[in-house]
Amino acid sequence: MKKLVALAMSLTMAFSLVACGSSDTSNTSTDAAATTAASTEAAQTAPAEKQDVSLRIWGAEEDQTMLQGMIDSFKEHYADYANFDIQLGTESESTAKDTVLADIEAAADVYSFASDQLIDLVNAGALQSVDEMDAALEAYAGKSVADVKSANAPGSVDAATKDGTLYAFPMSADNGYFLYYNSELVTPEDAQTWDTLLAAAEKAGKKVGMTLASGWYNASFFYGAGFTTALNDDGSTAMDWNGTSTDGVTGVQVVQAMLNITGNSAFLPIADGDVSNQIASGDLCAVVSGTWDATAAQTAFGDGYAATKLPTYTCGDKQIQQGSVAGFKLVGVNKYSANAGWATLLADWITNEDNQAVRFAEREIGPSNINVASSEEVSSNTAIAALSEQSAYGVVQIVGGKYWDPTATFGEKVAQGQLKADDEAGIQAALDELVEGVSVPAE
Amino acid sequence: MKKKKSGIGGFFKEFGEAVVKGDLFVKLSLVWMGAGYIRRKQIIKGILMTLLEVAVIVFTFGFATEYVRDFGTLGTVQQETVFNIVTMQNEFNDYDNSFMILLFSVVSFVIWFTFLVIWLKNEVTVYRLQKKAQAGEHINTFVEDLQQFKNDKFYITLLALPVMGVVIFTIVPLLILIAVAFTNYDQGHMPPSALFTWVGFTNFKNLLSSGGMTITFGYAFRKILIWTLVWALFATFTTYLGGILLSLLINNKRTKLPKLWRTLFIVTIAVPQFVSLLLVRNFFANNGIMNTICANAGITQWLRDIGAISTSYIPFLSAPGWAHVMIILINIWIGVPYQMLIATGVLMNIPSDQLESAKIDGATPLQSFIHITMPYMLFVTGPSLVTDFVKNINNFNVIYLLTQGVYTTTNQAMANSQAKEVDLLITWLFNLTQSYYNYKMASTIGIIVFILCAVFTLIAFSRFLKGDREEAFR
Amino acid sequence: MKRFIKTLLHNLLLAFLAFIWLVPIVWLVVTSFSAYTGMNTSTFFPKEWSLVNYKNLLFSADSVAQFPNWFKNTFIIACVVCVISTAFVLMVAYATSCMRFPARKPLMNAAVIVNLFPGVLSMIAVYFILKTLNLTNTHLGLILVYSAGSGLGYLIAKGFFDTIPNSLREAAYLDGASEATIFWKVVIPMSRPIIVYTVISSFLSPWMDFVYAKLLLNSGISSQWTVAIGLYNMLDKSLINTYFGQFCAGGVLVSIPISVLFVIMQKFYVEGITGGAVKG
Repeated sequence: MKKLVALAMSLTMAFSLVACGSSDTSNTSTDAAATTAASTEAAQTAPAEKQDVSLRIWGAEEDQTMLQGMIDSFKEHYADYANFDIQLGTESESTAKDTVLADIEAAADVYSFASDQLIDLVNAGALQSVDEMDAALEAYAGKSVADVKSANAPGSVDAATKDGTLYAFPMSADNGYFLYYNSELVTPEDAQTWDTLLAAAEKAGKKVGMTLASGWYNASFFYGAGFTTALNDDGSTAMDWNGTSTDGVTGVQVVQAMLNITGNSAFLPIADGDVSNQIASGDLCAVVSGTWDATAAQTAFGDGYAATKLPTYTCGDKQIQQGSVAGFKLVGVNKYSANAGWATLLADWITNEDNQAVRFAEREIGPSNINVASSEEVSSNTAIAALSEQSAYGVVQIVGGKYWDPTATFGEKVAQGQLKADDEAGIQAALDELVEGVSVPAE
Repeated sequence: MKKKKSGIGGFFKEFGEAVVKGDLFVKLSLVWMGAGYIRRKQIIKGILMTLLEVAVIVFTFGFATEYVRDFGTLGTVQQETVFNIVTMQNEFNDYDNSFMILLFSVVSFVIWFTFLVIWLKNEVTVYRLQKKAQAGEHINTFVEDLQQFKNDKFYITLLALPVMGVVIFTIVPLLILIAVAFTNYDQGHMPPSALFTWVGFTNFKNLLSSGGMTITFGYAFRKILIWTLVWALFATFTTYLGGILLSLLINNKRTKLPKLWRTLFIVTIAVPQFVSLLLVRNFFANNGIMNTICANAGITQWLRDIGAISTSYIPFLSAPGWAHVMIILINIWIGVPYQMLIATGVLMNIPSDQLESAKIDGATPLQSFIHITMPYMLFVTGPSLVTDFVKNINNFNVIYLLTQGVYTTTNQAMANSQAKEVDLLITWLFNLTQSYYNYKMASTIGIIVFILCAVFTLIAFSRFLKGDREEAFR
Repeated sequence: MKRFIKTLLHNLLLAFLAFIWLVPIVWLVVTSFSAYTGMNTSTFFPKEWSLVNYKNLLFSADSVAQFPNWFKNTFIIACVVCVISTAFVLMVAYATSCMRFPARKPLMNAAVIVNLFPGVLSMIAVYFILKTLNLTNTHLGLILVYSAGSGLGYLIAKGFFDTIPNSLREAAYLDGASEATIFWKVVIPMSRPIIVYTVISSFLSPWMDFVYAKLLLNSGISSQWTVAIGLYNMLDKSLINTYFGQFCAGGVLVSIPISVLFVIMQKFYVEGITGGAVKG
């Protein structure tokens, strides 16, 4: 019976969706027809009188106009069930956790955040389990949690899941990094390995930039060599970088390889968050960054603008493909929301297939939705194509809160050349210290 | 004016006397606070006191007990939710919020304490009324009582609001902060989803012991403490001396257009600190304009050649040593114009006859600066020098705005405690609360900072402020 | 001739110092007139001059830059804070300086102790107190935060009042004036410098603070912000490249009124500080 209702619902929704999508807000007869169809359906599931639902949603600064559009379509779509009063606020996805955790009860009902914040948010009880909302989704959105999971890339679902429970809706899959290069100075073959890349840069009198003083970037060398990070029960990070990886590479060897790269005069270590500035300065011919710098790279490299997966690096006598962190942007629902149900539907709405397509069309944000990601326009986008090429080597980074400072410092030490490539004992000691630092239980 | 018995001892003695020797209504006032007034025909005052008493009782039983009762455990009921599909809302159980219990308990204690003082005072006042009545003296009417607040008791009128503001927005938070240092309020125990509880002196032990590097904060704490003190010392004295020198320079009679010069320097104060500091930070960034200029001028290469730096840029604000010096220099830039203003004012009042006679005696400008100007300045501004030092220990803005997000430590042991070499205790604890929600450690550090400042102030004031200066000038 | 050279050198030294002090300020001003919206790191002066930053800041508000709103918010907050703080400071200063009552010394000692606690730390407690009063995300809450504790900053004003001769007040007292009248009619009119000093310093605090403001105004509605949070936010890693020019323009616009205020009030300001600082 439930399934039947769901089927009927989803058909209605699909119909009304098509209707909404095909016309603008000015009323047309099809629109009206669709609304009537939806409201007949609503009478069976929704409470007799319309609820007054007020919600607050946070999104990134750059997305405000687009989000307002999505909110408007949400209101219109569910107009028969409730009177919505939805307030849109700004909160950068990278700082959402800090603001939410300062006072969870005062945080927005729906907020977007970078996937690395998920664990802390769940631990603090700031996220509503999506699994518990299965019934609400079935009743009003005509889909189950399983549908949400299957619609999005497996990696993005993993990143939104903790201990087997889905805690957020995947919104985008572009929070990862790859290599931008200027094809007028660096050939695609040169961009395959760090050695040839740096040589080409040297020849062109330019530099290759990468952020090392961040555990988000520098982990890529370790992940590539088969090292891992994981979360312990006490909230600390389990890290094996000071030992030997499953691929038989030692951590010391990886650090030596990193030091060989940073020791090259054509390499430029860039401070965390300073990449866009550096691209704009015009001194670079290649840089490790993500889709957020696509415009900057396009402007700086001009016709030579190109992007590809990260290069391989020389470790001992073999080439190792540099890994990366597969990062996602997620949309979560505040557990303390006064209208958790409708908040969940809003979160689902702004991350559904259509709106992920809108997101790409308007802001070139790489979708996590499988259908949208495989569409013609998306796969032909230079940056997103490079990202998906790299995603084969991407790892969902699962770490505790005390991971970031120690790894940033470790990266800075490598970047500044404080460690010496021939001092194996020194490197081992530094790695041991690093592992000790990240393994401290969260306090 | 009537003679008042001084001190707390005297007060309690009078209270005791009131309880013992008071008549029926005075004794009744212990329970019904308005009783004594009504007996002496101070009806309005009696009603007001009764209302106050009722209000406190209502507060106590209607509100306070609900929280204070859990003060010993800081709550036991974990939060749980169930989603209700019909209302589309989460339904919560009646869960405890440790922080709210702590907050409202402290508020209740403050209110009760205040009430206790009022209650004690009330009894004494009522007894005095009785004595006045017995002696046949005039008893004030309500209007006359009100008049008092414009005269003898004008200080109460003046102080009521400011003191209330300080109590609510400074004292109560402080008490909470002190309490938190004895709990395990951290990321693993964050209300509303989780509870925290009392842990005694554990946090202090962890901070001050020097066991394993990462488990305790001891190592980072000592390093930061030393830098905090060094910073406070330099920041205070460089700007102080700089300000005096600059004002002497400007006030020198050789200076053309002294007003113009002064105004130029004042402009730097007028730019809000967060603007000027963020600006300077970008100015000296690793890829900032200053580095470009130095690279073009060949300074960067020269520093590399002599081995002062190993990077391709000058790490003005991103390497220990460099950053420490730069921070102090930038602070001079920020602080000197302000000190210059103060010094200008003080030096205007300097007894000029002394300087004149010194000049006639053949003293060099340096000599008269050391023997006349400085002693005078120190005498006048000594106390503010002490407060400046304390302010610099807690100088959040300069350090935070200059280093937050740009300085990455290369000391693994520091990083493992979420600290940087350039952190002051205050910025460290700010980061602990903002990024790591480690409120218990932040509070512990906060208390230590306080003790540090208190000890320093006590020593300094007992040296600088011999005797009661405040009456000396009248 | 020797005198002339000495004078010249003297003024050159001053000019040199002024140059150092003004370099960053000049950089702020010239960058605000740059056509490039990000941070220019290769040359001191912009390659292309333009008013675009000012135009965007003032006339095309987006969700990031709402400068006119911020300015208005901050101005209103600053004015109210200024009135309350000045009143509080003068009241406490008069009570402690000109009146004698039993709790006076203990209160003054308590004030010294309370001032030693780092304020940043009590932030979270202040936040929850305001939340209980339902005052978070309101400007009233922010006003309370800035002005409630201002009584603690009474020392300089007290020092100033201490210099007012007792005889003046006693004369008024003999004329039958009440303490309140003396406060209003005798002491306040004589205290122009210290009032100006207090007014300026309390007027400035809402323009400078971003820590409390950021914590309290946490609804993410950027039109509610104050100038300090708004400008601070523009230097966010993802925004700095688009908004650095506007940040500079905003900095200039904020600094102009404050500079003017300072320059005009300079004399009183100096007298106020020094009159008070004499006694600490």
